[in-house]
Amino acid sequence: MISSFVGVLFDGFAYGMLLFLLSVGLSVTLGMMNFVNLAHCSFAMLGGYVTVTLMDRLGWPFLATLPVAFLAAAGASAALERVLFRPLYRASDLDQCLLTIGVVFVSVAGAAYLYGTVQQPVQLPGYLRRAVTLGSFRFPVYRLFLIGAALAVTVVLVAALECTRFGARVRAAVDNQRMARGLGIDVDGVFAVTFALGSGLAGLGGALAIEMVGLDPSFAFAYLIYVIIVVSVGGLASIGGSFAAAALLGISDMAGKYYVPQLGAFLIYLVMVGLLMWRPAGLFGRR
Amino acid sequence: MPDLLLAVRNVRAGYGEAVVLDDVSFEVPSGESLAVLGRNGVGKSTLVLTIMGFTTLIRGSLVWRGEEITHLAPHRRPRRGLGWVAQEREIFASLSVEENLTVASRPGRWDLAAVFELFPRLAERRHARGHHLSGGEQQMLAIARALMTNPDLLLLDEPLEGLAPIIVEELTAAIRRMTGEQGSTLILVEQHADIALGLTEHVIVLERGKIVHRGRSRDTLREPVLLDRYLGLTLSDSPPASGP
Ligand SMILES: Nc1ncnc2c1ncn2[C@@H]1O[C@H](COP(=O)(O)OP(=O)(O)O)[C@@H](O)[C@H]1O
Ligand SMILES: [Mg+2]
Repeated sequence: MISSFVGVLFDGFAYGMLLFLLSVGLSVTLGMMNFVNLAHCSFAMLGGYVTVTLMDRLGWPFLATLPVAFLAAAGASAALERVLFRPLYRASDLDQCLLTIGVVFVSVAGAAYLYGTVQQPVQLPGYLRRAVTLGSFRFPVYRLFLIGAALAVTVVLVAALECTRFGARVRAAVDNQRMARGLGIDVDGVFAVTFALGSGLAGLGGALAIEMVGLDPSFAFAYLIYVIIVVSVGGLASIGGSFAAAALLGISDMAGKYYVPQLGAFLIYLVMVGLLMWRPAGLFGRR
Repeated sequence: MPDLLLAVRNVRAGYGEAVVLDDVSFEVPSGESLAVLGRNGVGKSTLVLTIMGFTTLIRGSLVWRGEEITHLAPHRRPRRGLGWVAQEREIFASLSVEENLTVASRPGRWDLAAVFELFPRLAERRHARGHHLSGGEQQMLAIARALMTNPDLLLLDEPLEGLAPIIVEELTAAIRRMTGEQGSTLILVEQHADIALGLTEHVIVLERGKIVHRGRSRDTLREPVLLDRYLGLTLSDSPPASGP
């Protein structure tokens, strides 16, 4: 009983950390420019396919593919931001949704065309497939690695946002875009960089997700809903909020599937509705 | 003849379809100070926002040091030397006082030491977050933040509004130091006409989006009829006139 509880907690937290990596970028960019980017998980999916391709076709080691997954997603998003998204910053939410959901369809079709609709396997290196035993508990090393990676990303993000001038500009632009411009801050430029970094993190998340949740062309849609839940529960532009929301959702999703399988994946929607009724602006939200 | 810093020429501007300013023209030479007076809602803030590039400009032009900036992106204007203190202060709430000052600063005469000397109160509160400041402190921070961009022209939108008399005195002294010994160029939008006229050399008065009076501040101070008519400075509230 206790060991299953600890197991669910651990697996749920690891899953939550994955959700955190997938969603933190969207949280910041949505808070900053109010740009509704439903294609966020397409960049995550891109990261996943980059890792699969490099490992399968080119024989790269898993860890070496991760930075490439990050860079590929960041680069692709920077290009799309320039060409497709930027003209729509001042458009209505509906227009933004329609455009970005179109990008999702294109990415899903593209992935299916190139890779087929089957699940893509990854062969993790031996040291990541082991498990650490602690008393009667067994912790898979890969999930520990996932947690470690997410915590490292959190520390770096918080430090960058809180302690650098670029981070202060991001916060200023989130707070008050017009005033930021009125002081000479290139808000669009700051946003473009933030957007690319956020998509890059999604790409990293997509690569790390394969082992845990699999990868097929439906990924861009399937995880969109989770990411949106994390962002709305966590509050816009709040790293701490995204972190807490992702952990909470990961754990409740796992707990729901384990303890009340009849409800299946439904529990997290109940959790979301409950949390949003309690705090409509999200756990740490200001708006 | 001093250099011409800013020229506003036949500007017609507003918000989307709504026209607020009509045929507004004036010039600000380097080193001079201009008061912009007028009752609530006549378009003073709209004028400032238009200079900063945040309104819909329908006609006319803005010329900065002889170069047209009418269609320049807003964030490039501060880089050319325009400094803006918004009416609502608009302090970045999630930034500390010091971060508010440094987030957009540019090198020049005004640095942290200089603004802390001008407003010692800010030095004491340098680590406080923006949203923990009193109204007076927020206004000092808004002015100091604009100074940190080392502007050639400072636009102050009702800096004394809603502040306690003692703070008004402190800010007035600071503005006097800027225009006086430091020779800064500024546009001072005010409802407190008497204070603004005492701080500036020239004045324009707006009424329903048009300039209805322009002159020297010193002379205007001696025109009670005009002050009463456009600014309601005495008790009576005569109907607004529609021309000079
Ligand atoms: N964002 C806006 N959209 C539409 N109309 C506005 C906006 N801001 C101000 N106005 C209108 O423009 C007019 C001038 O306002 P404003 O420039 O703020 O006056 P002042 O600063 O002189 O008090 C007012 O009638 C006001 O209602
Ligand atoms: Mg105003």
